[in-house]
Amino acid sequence: MMKIEFERSGGFMGRTVSLSLDLDDLPADQAQALRLLIDNADFFNLPADSPNSPARDAFSYTVAVTDGARQHTVHTDDVSAPESLRPLLMDLSVRARGRR
Amino acid sequence: MCHRHPIHCIIPPHMLDEITKSGTDSQREKAEETMAISNRIRIQRTSRDLTARMAAIPVTAQKQRNVYDAKNGSQLPGTLVRTEGDPPSSDVAVNEAYDGSGVTYDLFKDIYGRNSIDNKGMPLDSTVHYLQGYDNAFWNGKQMVYGDGDEDLPPAQRLFNRFTAALDVIGHELTHGVTQFEANLVYSQQPGALNESMSDVFGSLVKQRLRGQLTNEADWIVGEGLFTSNVNGVGIRSMKAPGTAYNDPVLGKDPQPAHMRDYVNTIQDNGGVHINSGIPNHAFYLASMEMGGFAWEKMGMVWYKTLTDKLSRNSNFQDAANYTFATAGELFGQNSLEQMAVRKGWEDVGITVGAPPQEGCFNAALRAVGLR
Repeated sequence: MMKIEFERSGGFMGRTVSLSLDLDDLPADQAQALRLLIDNADFFNLPADSPNSPARDAFSYTVAVTDGARQHTVHTDDVSAPESLRPLLMDLSVRARGRR
Repeated sequence: MCHRHPIHCIIPPHMLDEITKSGTDSQREKAEETMAISNRIRIQRTSRDLTARMAAIPVTAQKQRNVYDAKNGSQLPGTLVRTEGDPPSSDVAVNEAYDGSGVTYDLFKDIYGRNSIDNKGMPLDSTVHYLQGYDNAFWNGKQMVYGDGDEDLPPAQRLFNRFTAALDVIGHELTHGVTQFEANLVYSQQPGALNESMSDVFGSLVKQRLRGQLTNEADWIVGEGLFTSNVNGVGIRSMKAPGTAYNDPVLGKDPQPAHMRDYVNTIQDNGGVHINSGIPNHAFYLASMEMGGFAWEKMGMVWYKTLTDKLSRNSNFQDAANYTFATAGELFGQNSLEQMAVRKGWEDVGITVGAPPQEGCFNAALRAVGLR
């Protein structure tokens, strides 16, 4: 089982949106697509923080993934995010967008 | 020096050296950071001296705008689509970024004598069409970046328009660049909220100046035009009445405080930098209303001089109040109407000009290197 906790804060508006996903609760194709994004990002080996970002008004992201015994949390933003992580951030942002 | 960097006046460099050699990890880190700050100040001092000496040499300041298209990707800056002097594009976002950065440059140059973001003629680079469904704009340390809102949703669900649609957003982003080259306020807690407020102030002044509005004619709304008609709101923030810009079933309510008693403690948004900016925003609005006339002339000059000559990385709201008051005295005279207006502006948001700092120089210095 895999779980994703996502929070996007900051931005010009300073509005926080968040999302909690249990992949078991998603349709199989969506769960598979998310797994692939996490694998492609090499998520569990990404640095936990992106310190000293020069960004102003960029969105800040916190992504925590639990996969069985493995758990990892990444804090980053639009400017510092590793390229490999961007598709996952986009996907989760769009899912979280309409929420509070 | 004591006002700029409390630590600088107490701990001599050799002691910092010692801490970096024998202190704990966190002490060493802080001492190193302090030395970096001190070095930066020395460099700044030198460059200010240079600027003063060069002031006699006439400089022909010219703006150099470049607008790029990210074509919905994340690569920056993207493809160059309009550069200085080119005719308008068929793409409205390109023209808004070009025109908006132009009038922002003009405010800083015509009114405050500043030559671009770095005061050395730095090109004004903007990228439009960043990602897809990107409801935001930002400064990345080198350039401005704009998303198209939530254009990927069906019209009935859209909440945001393209972010170049609001001129004060463009002024806001460019001002983040100016702040980076000046006070370089840390983007967290009160210094971060001050950083945000500076961007709202000059963003709003760009709009007021273009419209030729007196203080009582301006709407003091930041980000007017960003919301679609699906949203119950007039803009993202209100400097006139923080906390009232929107109240919407999906977006929630504008969370900005207008007074220190309502200061929001949070870890989100870098410690609420876009939330607590409501307090210094409102102080600027109140001081400007007290003076009347065109806000960019007197109060704008006071805030500009404070940003460029007085504030530093860790300045808080109290510092901003004290320094704007001092600056108003230097520019317009002690006990001038202008200086009294500044005092009243801060007073009415719960900050008393001249109140003692929250901790002494010595304690601040000890805390900064983790000895306390």
